[in-house]
Amino acid sequence: MKIVVCVKQVPASSDAKIDPETKRIVREGMKAVLNPFDAYAVEEGVRLRKKFGGEVIALSMGPEKALASLREAVSLGVDRAVLLSDRAFGGSDTWATSYALARAIEKIGGVDLVICGKQAVDGDTAQVGPGIAAHLGWAQATYVMKVEQAGEEGLRLRRMNEDGYDVCELQYPAVLTVLKDINQPGVPTLKGVLAALREQIPVWTPADIGADARKLGLDGSPTRVVSTAPPPPRHTVTRRITGSPADCARELVADLRTRGIL
Amino acid sequence: MREHIRQRRYHVELGPPRQDSEKLLENLEQFAQKYRRVLDSGYVAGITDNSMGLLAFQGHETIIELGLPVVPGQVMIHLNTFHTKENLHEILDTCIALGIRQLLVISGDGSDRLPRLQPHELGVTEVEAVTAVELIAYIHQTWPGVFEIGAAFNPYEPREHEMEKLRRKLDAGATFIITQPILKQNEVVDEVLARYPELPVFVEAWMSRRISLLSEAVGYEIKDDPNFDPIETLKQLHRAYPDCGVYLSLLGFKTQYHLLGDTWPEPDGRTGEEA
Repeated sequence: MKIVVCVKQVPASSDAKIDPETKRIVREGMKAVLNPFDAYAVEEGVRLRKKFGGEVIALSMGPEKALASLREAVSLGVDRAVLLSDRAFGGSDTWATSYALARAIEKIGGVDLVICGKQAVDGDTAQVGPGIAAHLGWAQATYVMKVEQAGEEGLRLRRMNEDGYDVCELQYPAVLTVLKDINQPGVPTLKGVLAALREQIPVWTPADIGADARKLGLDGSPTRVVSTAPPPPRHTVTRRITGSPADCARELVADLRTRGIL
Repeated sequence: MREHIRQRRYHVELGPPRQDSEKLLENLEQFAQKYRRVLDSGYVAGITDNSMGLLAFQGHETIIELGLPVVPGQVMIHLNTFHTKENLHEILDTCIALGIRQLLVISGDGSDRLPRLQPHELGVTEVEAVTAVELIAYIHQTWPGVFEIGAAFNPYEPREHEMEKLRRKLDAGATFIITQPILKQNEVVDEVLARYPELPVFVEAWMSRRISLLSEAVGYEIKDDPNFDPIETLKQLHRAYPDCGVYLSLLGFKTQYHLLGDTWPEPDGRTGEEA
């Protein structure tokens, strides 16, 4: 089985800043990490390879420093990695990004399954996985919380919905986006990290993947962010309960019950 | 471990490089240098396991990848409860292959990225979470007679609660303890020594000048004191606890290590220099 896992490098801090002019995330000067949801995608890919054999390839698009996240994916067990990096990719929205990734997946060739994290924690759109499926014309399942059965032809899985979960079956080739519930990602070993440091990761340009330049970057991005605003502040109230430990506990429990928490 | 005390062998805490290190190769080299120095001194290297919940590489894999020697009795691996069962077995089987027999088993601080051992994986049904007690018992049951296992003791926890935990750890098979850092004679540690006179106890000496960092461990605020002298405090601990071993945390290898030789008095009370 040939599996591609799409990963993204994101700012380490949750308080990413937005450029007021461009409405885009300011990435300069911020420590970057592997998107946390993508670690679950990597783990699932590695688990499926252990079961069926084959190959897992990590794929990312971004500046050269995104190589670090690909190296992390290698240290977590993927076999090799590919980075899409070129000025022409800059400014791509989720549609243009998923187009470029889809072209890269076609170039890799023979791919049975693409796995993505459910969303990146910087943009929070959850659109790239479905976008890849749309560009490739493949089946897709989003918010996958469990792979119940994996076979040579397809998968049987659970995808979360508002009321519980759906049980879906889909045939390869397919695209999945996965939730944290799906597995417990491993921790890189030192041996894996040292091997990842030595890994030669190819960097592909639009020409390498045969991409139409008009479909990349700002020109290829239909999304327009017209304004951004921070979420309203959360109002919290701190209440101090005094008295003996027993009285405090009693009052705390009563208060939590009144609020419907207990 | 009683031998370590009799032979005046310090236990020196060493932390392998963190997973997010941006200078991994440099940090590995520093670790190797410290490790070799500790072993060459005849001391014991106590290698941490994701200390403070910060992801780091494991001691056993670091030793293997760096090709470091293991001197029997001079390497102690910390082991917490944040591992998969498969990973736990891999660590301990590797320790056996390397000749590492001393373990310090702790519950650990955990992290979102770390899996936690589940009671059913260790064949335990009567608890909801695996603590050091269950892990100690499991190791003894799975590798009987192989490891010498120590446990942590926190004199800053409510006394009876901590004493009860200690009893359970000893019942599970711990044969020595290492305390949380203490800066002077501590009455809870004194009580342990009185209750368990045969138990090898290692008091932890805080070797950083920044004693404010201890606040979280002790549960109350400690302000930094420009007059705090870790080496002098270490000597005081030896005077207070002549029958205990000492575990050194945050030891300065450049500024303090060379001073250690004079700190642990001979049984007759003389320091190394005087002897």
